Amino acid sequence: MISFIICVFSQSGFGQISGSEHDFSAELWNTSGEMCIVCHAPHNADVSIADAPLWNHQITTQVFTLYTSSTFDGVAGQPDASSKLCLSCHDGVTAVDNFGGETAGTEFITGARNIDVDLSDDHPVSFTYNTALATADGGLKDPATDPSGLGGTINADMLIGGKMQCASCHDVHNTAGEAHLLRLSNASSALCLTCHIK
Amino acid sequence: MQKKIIQIFLFLWFPYLVNSQSIVNTVHNLSAGSTGSIKATTETEICIFCHTPHGSAPVGPLWNRDDPGLTYTLYNSSTIDALPGQPDGSSILCLSCHDGTIALGNIYSEIADISMLSGVTTMPVGKSNLSQLLNDDHPISFVYNSSLVLTDGKLKDPASITLPVELENEKVQCTSCHDPHNNTYSKFLVTSSQYSALCLSCHERPNWINSSHKNSDATWTTTNPWTHTDYTTVSENACENCHRPHSAGSSELIMKYPVGEDNCLDCHNGNVALSTKNIETHLSKYSAHNVSDIAYEGIHDANEAALVSVQHVECADCHNPHAARQNTQIAPNVKGANEGVKGIDQSGNPVDPISYEYELCYRCHADSPNKPASATSRSIVQNNVRLEFDINNPSHHAVTGVGENNSVPSLISPLTVSSIIYCTDCHASDGSGPLPDDPPLGPHGSIYPTILKYNYETTDGTPYLATNFELCYTCHSEASILSDNTFGEHYVHIVVEATSCNVCHDPHGISISQGNTTNNTHLINFDISAVSLAAGQRIFVDEGINTGYCLLRCHTRGHSEAMSRY
Repeated sequence: MISFIICVFSQSGFGQISGSEHDFSAELWNTSGEMCIVCHAPHNADVSIADAPLWNHQITTQVFTLYTSSTFDGVAGQPDASSKLCLSCHDGVTAVDNFGGETAGTEFITGARNIDVDLSDDHPVSFTYNTALATADGGLKDPATDPSGLGGTINADMLIGGKMQCASCHDVHNTAGEAHLLRLSNASSALCLTCHIK
Repeated sequence: MQKKIIQIFLFLWFPYLVNSQSIVNTVHNLSAGSTGSIKATTETEICIFCHTPHGSAPVGPLWNRDDPGLTYTLYNSSTIDALPGQPDGSSILCLSCHDGTIALGNIYSEIADISMLSGVTTMPVGKSNLSQLLNDDHPISFVYNSSLVLTDGKLKDPASITLPVELENEKVQCTSCHDPHNNTYSKFLVTSSQYSALCLSCHERPNWINSSHKNSDATWTTTNPWTHTDYTTVSENACENCHRPHSAGSSELIMKYPVGEDNCLDCHNGNVALSTKNIETHLSKYSAHNVSDIAYEGIHDANEAALVSVQHVECADCHNPHAARQNTQIAPNVKGANEGVKGIDQSGNPVDPISYEYELCYRCHADSPNKPASATSRSIVQNNVRLEFDINNPSHHAVTGVGENNSVPSLISPLTVSSIIYCTDCHASDGSGPLPDDPPLGPHGSIYPTILKYNYETTDGTPYLATNFELCYTCHSEASILSDNTFGEHYVHIVVEATSCNVCHDPHGISISQGNTTNNTHLINFDISAVSLAAGQRIFVDEGINTGYCLLRCHTRGHSEAMSRY
């Protein structure tokens, strides 16, 4: 019973964007002092990416080098949907301060947070992860039925339009309050083992 | 209510229950929560020791470790046709821990090493630490394709290899045999090694399917020779009776022990093989094919020519452990124990495998330089047994074909003049147990000279006892011989004068290149230590069936035509 309680509560974290790594309100390059404005605007948003939520940041135009592996059975395309939004800062090429119509920004992500345009050394994103892939691979859980650890299935809670995206692992708004803006604690590699049968 | 709680509990923990064979429960879980003894002090992530989701090393799948960047000593042998290169592909990933040079906690994504319990840094010395010396390990990182199969001849077509065994870009790598994430089969093997199923995914040996080492259910009695496996019978251990895929005793052929015969005598010493297959007990006898002789060490080569050029003998010279078996055969056909070995045929040409037992003996006792000399000094000197047994000879024991003499009344049924016998009918370990299993059939060692199976007295003048010629009397009736029904003076020579059979008869035969059908029928070729020249002559003259005479001097007694005609 104690395990049951721990289990339930460990699945709901307590965090917020304020004070997180994504709180840009105090950055020198953000003269507005607003927190949301770097990514979102209430009006005149960029709608070029479907479902992009009131997007206010310049969208990356880079062509990315994709992840390949002889054991990878998925088909990763160029980053799309919300992953493309993430890479609109994390490509290291698109200026962080290119928002609200600005295109001459001078602030770029560097260091470990710079995913850069070479995604071959990163976990693949923007690929369809369905039952068929799980069957073909043999080392993946079935997203349609296996639990996400967030209350529902992997497909319901972690995939977006049936695809694995950056947001499958990361919560840009830091809801869970986990390190690296993860959606779940990766203690005991629990997040990895949500999908990987290893 | 209680039942419902249990149901909820099971639902929540179900993923962990079905993953009972996952990496989590293996020694590859190096996190602080591992059940293994080598683990981190505080780091709880499991995947992190090898993988990272971002900024991975370019060498492998989201790899989180450095390439050791070392030069390894590679496997080699005289029989290998593959070309192992420096470890590459996934093998280099495994070696980033298993060569013992990089700290287990030294990962790409963190500046500081992950701290390990008990001060462990690199892989502790032991069987998991392969070191930079890979010459005592199964080769890796070589191309395994149809071309290799053609060259080698003892490998399966790679197209027939099926999951879970797989090649990586046509190459055998560590991951061909090991799945680092799954320890279901122990040692992280991709499938069971029972009956060497894993080895046999690639290796194919002629006649292995019938061999004793594949099929025997024998187990040990005093000392377990298989402490490196979980299996208790010869058949279950199969390849691993003699071979070790890692940290082998010998670098060549990855044998269990560095000294060849130790691999055989580990079981053939009464511990595993039946007492009737206890070879070790014979090797220290008066005359033996003593494979343990230190002078022979290091000479045998698995790839050596059929014709032995430097004198030696090892178990593998006469036996093919991948094919040897027990069966019933008729001379001169090769017996199961010697199936699948190379030899020299009656024409002097190499054959592989042999068809007839004598072809095996010809490896050393025919055209080979430095072969053993004859035990007896004779009128006609011939050390080449291939020439001694030529069916064109004026006389020869019936080893390569039926004998020349159509009238041999002394033969004990079922033997007839049409019978053929084996070399090993005379040359075999001594022993009086019931045939065919006691002692081992082959010429391993005997209390009698020249590895004879029974007593054969060659010293002239030894007072007569039937047991002096136990060997001859196995096939030739003593009563018949001594009744003088062929050579009319047998009784006088053998019993009265105490002359050995060996004084007049050369048991192998007389080569057509040296003898003739007048003087050398009936295996006549005199022992010159007893028989000397008389008036320049030392001959037998055959005058037809059961008649002839001798011209010679036996010790002091001269033999004239008139005096010796019978």
